[in-house]
Amino acid sequence: MKQITLTPIKFSSIALEFDELIPDEIYGWSKEDFEKYEVPVGNSRFPLTDYYDIEVEGEAQSPEEVKMIIDGDAGRVKYIGCKMDAGEIVVNGDADLHAGAEMEGGSLTVNGNAESYCGREMKGGEITIKGNVREYAGTSYIGEWRGMSGGKLTIHGNAGKQLADAMSGGEIHVMGNCDILAGIHMTKGFIQIDGDVTRWPGGQMKNGAIVINGRLERLLEGFELDAIVTDPEVEGRQFTGKYIKYTGDIGVNGKGTLLLNAEKNRHHL
Amino acid sequence: MEYILKNGIVYDPINEINGEKKDVMFKDGKIVNSVSDDAKVIDVTDKLVMPAGIDVHCHLAGPKLCVGRLYRPEDERRGVKPKTDITRPETGFSIPNCPATGYRFSKMGYGTVVEAAVPPLEAKHTHEEIIAIPNIDIPPLTLFGNNWFILQFAKEGRIEDIAAFVSAWLKITKGYGVKIVNPCGSEAWGWGMNVHGIDDPAPYWDVTAREVIRALAQANEMLGLPHSIHIHPNDLGHPGNFPTTVNTIDCMKDIKKNSEYRNQTIHLTHAQFHCYDGTSWRDVTSGVEPVADYINKHDHVTMDMGQVTLDETTTMTADGPMEYDLYELTGLKWANKDIELETASGLVPFIYSGRNPVHSLQWAIGLELALMIEDPWKVCLTTDSPNAGPFIRYPRVMSWLMSYQRRAEMMDNKEVHAWAGRKSALGTLDREYDFYDIATITRAGPSKIYGFEDRGHLGAGAIADIAVYDLEPNNFDPTRNAAEVEKAFSNALYTIKDGQILVKDGEIVKVVSSKHVRTEVEGFEDEEKRILEEIMPFFNRYYTVKFENYVVHDHYAEPSSVYKVNASK
Repeated sequence: MKQITLTPIKFSSIALEFDELIPDEIYGWSKEDFEKYEVPVGNSRFPLTDYYDIEVEGEAQSPEEVKMIIDGDAGRVKYIGCKMDAGEIVVNGDADLHAGAEMEGGSLTVNGNAESYCGREMKGGEITIKGNVREYAGTSYIGEWRGMSGGKLTIHGNAGKQLADAMSGGEIHVMGNCDILAGIHMTKGFIQIDGDVTRWPGGQMKNGAIVINGRLERLLEGFELDAIVTDPEVEGRQFTGKYIKYTGDIGVNGKGTLLLNAEKNRHHL
Repeated sequence: MEYILKNGIVYDPINEINGEKKDVMFKDGKIVNSVSDDAKVIDVTDKLVMPAGIDVHCHLAGPKLCVGRLYRPEDERRGVKPKTDITRPETGFSIPNCPATGYRFSKMGYGTVVEAAVPPLEAKHTHEEIIAIPNIDIPPLTLFGNNWFILQFAKEGRIEDIAAFVSAWLKITKGYGVKIVNPCGSEAWGWGMNVHGIDDPAPYWDVTAREVIRALAQANEMLGLPHSIHIHPNDLGHPGNFPTTVNTIDCMKDIKKNSEYRNQTIHLTHAQFHCYDGTSWRDVTSGVEPVADYINKHDHVTMDMGQVTLDETTTMTADGPMEYDLYELTGLKWANKDIELETASGLVPFIYSGRNPVHSLQWAIGLELALMIEDPWKVCLTTDSPNAGPFIRYPRVMSWLMSYQRRAEMMDNKEVHAWAGRKSALGTLDREYDFYDIATITRAGPSKIYGFEDRGHLGAGAIADIAVYDLEPNNFDPTRNAAEVEKAFSNALYTIKDGQILVKDGEIVKVVSSKHVRTEVEGFEDEEKRILEEIMPFFNRYYTVKFENYVVHDHYAEPSSVYKVNASK
């Protein structure tokens, strides 16, 4: 097991990019290798040691044996854990754009907030955000019609707009509130939102399931009421209580499932 | 500055040099027969030397590309490369940014690339993008096939007026030749319709594709333009479209050519998309045989392949209704453009896959065409970039043409679907192109077809556009080493443009401005003036821009290379 600890010593207002510092790349690196490494900053590169104190303990034969800790605020560090396949990354603070984007395996934990595009095009692995995320979490790249396809994204706080755009697999759990258009264009996969939702979940969804345990302000016209169901099972998960079940989005001949907690959403009936 | 490229194995079909070991000399940007003792020697002993490549049909500059980049950011992120001391940053795969377009062509040893479809209204934008693309000369073809004035004149049979209009509009748009896309069909798209076959009239104008094609061809020959008409026929990509294709080229056979350099009066572009038999995508089969047979028996036609490369790409064409059909088929995003009195274009992303039966058949049809047409001078290598695949795949297409073994391997080990073998004759075609044939379809043939007397060969007086590849033709078997063929043609050892070394060892070492290659007709000025006066009231009424702002001014087309034509009436 190898533990790499990066302790911030200098803040850069221009974002650093960490997509090269993933376990798959660095499992064989010694402290000297890190000290030689130059990290992308804007359109240049500077020594990583300008920004971090680096500690390396133990040895790793494979990426699975790596734990990397960014011990402090990484609110201006983009692409943390981007494309990682194995191992573990922990951020003790905030993370900037694209945290865990295109991740295929391993785990990323952010003990703070994450900026937009967290878990973008995720294929596998697990991301846990202890704070809030901004827009486009678990979504596709801009313009792209193929989004998150696997893995699990858990957000303990609130999520922003267009959560899980074009999702085609995997699982997202938002424990707080969620803004507009969660699950837009989704074709498969599962989204659970425990808090309140402003409006329009599941716009143009073709398939997959969204469960909302809080209050939904406005529903899209493309969702048809199916039934009131009790203790439903959705994609192998058991929920207790009464739910209003909709199918949509009929605007695109969608067969997606939208479940709203009946208690909190009486205004839709 | 004088140079001598020493001891290369030279393939120069125009001068009938077939793999001879010889020196190529150039001075001040031109090929010469001798140089002084001070000449700088570049040793390319035993390496493959050809004239720089000429691409006859590519979409690389203009509004379609710009729309494509705007609405496909997911394509732009493929192929990102940071700037270097010499080059600017690169982005994109099927629709690269302008600098990347130039660098990538240059790396493949290309020197001239034709922009295949320029709507006159957007010609300024095309020239702006040519300014931003480095290292290759670009002749833009101007679109005429759905132009309201042309439709009107063709209906009335006013050939001389069409000639005057073409002559004037080539000057206005700083274009090189006449491009026709789905004649009457793109205009019908304004009514939400399309036309089928060459005798289906356009709504309102009541004129058929046959009349438009013939009229434009007669005008083209009246002016004696260096290139013939360049046509994307009706019914692109429809199963059962091969009769339309044969009819299109057949309706031209009595038109006399007026050019000494080229042989054809019609160039059929991306022929792969026009050679389908059957009635639907379920029973579609290859329709290459009748088309290839016609081309083999007639000399007034040349073609380019439009080879499918099995990549994710972006389709873009001034064939608006076809793009709508494609959008219906794929369900992916679609962009549509209406170019006022001139044409209608569209864009749809497309994923060609070897697992898909139809795409695999398309792949086979392109190769079948190149292998069944006997005379390589009638064939050009293209992918209709980016429609059937991005241009960076040309070397891969070369490797397929050069190796029967590789083609069979692809069909045997399921890199392509069984339809490729079952519904086409590709599996039975064991012809293999050699380096001389490759030089013909990518250099010499295009030079002849376009009337580029100054390029596409290594004779004295030609511009010094030369490509050297890291292959030793005398010690190398391209029929057994497809991967190496692709690698070598992708990364030229040297690309020399106008006598300057732009690429060395597969890397860009110098960046120069691209030239706008265009045609100017002389001796038709009075007719041009008369026709402009006649159409101006109509122009002012229907265009959203003023004529003064429509014209491409000289500073848009610097530096230029102008082919002067004496209209021989």
